[in-house]
Amino acid sequence: MKLRILAALWRLNVAEELQYRANLVASLLGTIFWIGTALLTLAVFFRHTTRLGDWDYWEVVVLLGVFNTLTGVIEAVLRPGIGRLAGEVKSGGLDLVLAKPVDAQGFVSFRRLDVWRLTDVVLGLALAGYALVRLHHVPTVAQLAAFGLALTAAVVVVYALWVALMSLAFWFVSVENLSVLFDAVYEGARYPVSAYPGALRFVFVYLIPIAWTTTIPASALTGRLEPGFALVAAAVAALAFALTRLLWRTALKRYSGASG
Amino acid sequence: MTGTVDWLRRYGALLRAAWLQDLQYRASIVLWLLWGVTEPAVALGIWWAIAADGPVQGYARADFARYFFALMLVNQLTIAWDSWYLDSWIRDGELNFRLARPIHPAHEAVAENIAYKARTAGMILVVWLIVAAVWPAVRLPFGADRWALTAAAVLLAAALRFFISFATGLLAFWTTRATAIMELHAGISLFLSGRLAPLALLPPAVARVAGFLWFPYMLAFPVDLLTGTVHGAALVQGFVGQVVWLAVWVGAYRLAWTRGLRKYGAVGG
Repeated sequence: MKLRILAALWRLNVAEELQYRANLVASLLGTIFWIGTALLTLAVFFRHTTRLGDWDYWEVVVLLGVFNTLTGVIEAVLRPGIGRLAGEVKSGGLDLVLAKPVDAQGFVSFRRLDVWRLTDVVLGLALAGYALVRLHHVPTVAQLAAFGLALTAAVVVVYALWVALMSLAFWFVSVENLSVLFDAVYEGARYPVSAYPGALRFVFVYLIPIAWTTTIPASALTGRLEPGFALVAAAVAALAFALTRLLWRTALKRYSGASG
Repeated sequence: MTGTVDWLRRYGALLRAAWLQDLQYRASIVLWLLWGVTEPAVALGIWWAIAADGPVQGYARADFARYFFALMLVNQLTIAWDSWYLDSWIRDGELNFRLARPIHPAHEAVAENIAYKARTAGMILVVWLIVAAVWPAVRLPFGADRWALTAAAVLLAAALRFFISFATGLLAFWTTRATAIMELHAGISLFLSGRLAPLALLPPAVARVAGFLWFPYMLAFPVDLLTGTVHGAALVQGFVGQVVWLAVWVGAYRLAWTRGLRKYGAVGG
C-alpha cells in the first residue's frame, strides 16, 4: 500500500482521537494496572523459585516490557484493523474494501491507528529499560542493534499470526470472535519459552512462533543470545510474512461478497 | 402449586430459546472456551516448571495439575458475562423491550447462563475424562458426599458471580465504564480468587485480605472442595462465607436495579 495513503488515513485517525483526550488517561491507567498485575504475578511465582526457565526475575521483567510494547502495537493498529475482518467477511462489509484501488491486505491491516494505545509501547520500553538497570546490564551497541532487529521481526511475526488466524474467517464465516484465538495464543508469550515443558516449547518455536515475539528480543537485549541470532529472527519473520501473504491470497479467493 | 408449574414452564421456554441460540454460535463458544482455559493452562505450565525440584509448600506437580484442571471446570461453571450484556442493553436501549415483557430480564440472563454452562462445562468434562485416562495426575478421588458438597458450592459460587456481574453491569445506568470496572474486578480476582495460584501460595497478608472479601468464594473454595483439600471447620466457614457474600451482592443488585430504573431514560425515551 502506498505510504501516502497510509499517512492520510492515520492523520485522520489521530485528528479524530484527539477529540477524546480522556481516553489517554483511561488508556494510561489501564496500562499501568496491567503492568502492575503482571509484576505481582511474577512476584507470586518468584516467592517460590529464584529462576523461571533459567531466567531470573529482572530478566523476565525485560521480557514483560517487550510483551507490553507488542501489546501496544496490537491494540493500536492490529485489533482495530485486521481484528474487525471476521465481522466484515460475515456481513459482506469487505466488499467496500475490495472495491478500493489499494492492496486489500494492506488496507485491512493498517487502516486504523488508535493513537493512545501507543502509550503501551512507551511504557513497555521504559519497563524493559528499568529492568536492565536492575540487572546492572548495560547493553552493547551490537546488543541494542540486535534488539532493534529482533523487535521489528517480532512485530512482523505478531502481524503474521493475526493475518493467519483472521484468514480463517473466510472458511468459518459464522465465527465472529476469531480474534479471541490470537489472545489465547499470545497468552503463552508472557513468559520465556524455556519455562514450558519440551513439547510446548517445540510448538512455540516452530509451529505457533510466539517464542520469536518476546523471548528472542528480550534475550537479545540481555545478552542471553549472540547478537547475530537476530538475523535468524529476521529470516523467521520474512518467512512468516511470505507464508501469510500466500494464505491471504488463497483465502480471499473464497470470498464471495455480500450477495454470495 | 400452579405457581411452581408456571415457573417451570417459563424456564423451560427460556432455556430452550437460550440453548438454540447458543447452537447457532457453537463455533464462537468453542473459541471463548479455548480462551478461558489458556490462562489456567499457562499458570499450570509455570507452576509445573517451578515444582520440578520438589513440592512447593506441599504442592507437588500432580497437585498443581489437579488444582488447575478443577479451576478450568469450576471457572467455566461459574463464569458470568452478564455485565457486558447489561452494559450494551442499557446503552443501546435493548433493555426496553425486555422491560416490557411480563418476566424480569434477570430470568432470561439466568437461563442463558444455564444453557451456556451446560454446553461448555460438558465439553471440559469430556476433555478431562480423556486426559485423566492417560494422565493419572488429574484423576480425582471419588466420594459421593464430597461431590454433592462441591455441587452445592459451585451453585452458590455461580449465583455469587452472577449477581456480582449483574449488579456491576447495572452501573451502566450511571457510567459508560461499567465493563472497565468489571475488568478491574477481574484483575483483582486473578490473585484473590485463586486463578493464578492456590491461595496458600500467596503472601500470607494477601491471603488474609482475600479471606475478608468475596473473592475466594467465587472460585478457590469450590475448587479446593473438588480437589479434596478443605476439611472440617474450613468447610463450614467456606459455605457460611458463600451465603453471606451472596446475600450482600443480591442486596447490591436490588439497590442498583431499583435506583437505576428510576434514572433510566432509554434511547428515544
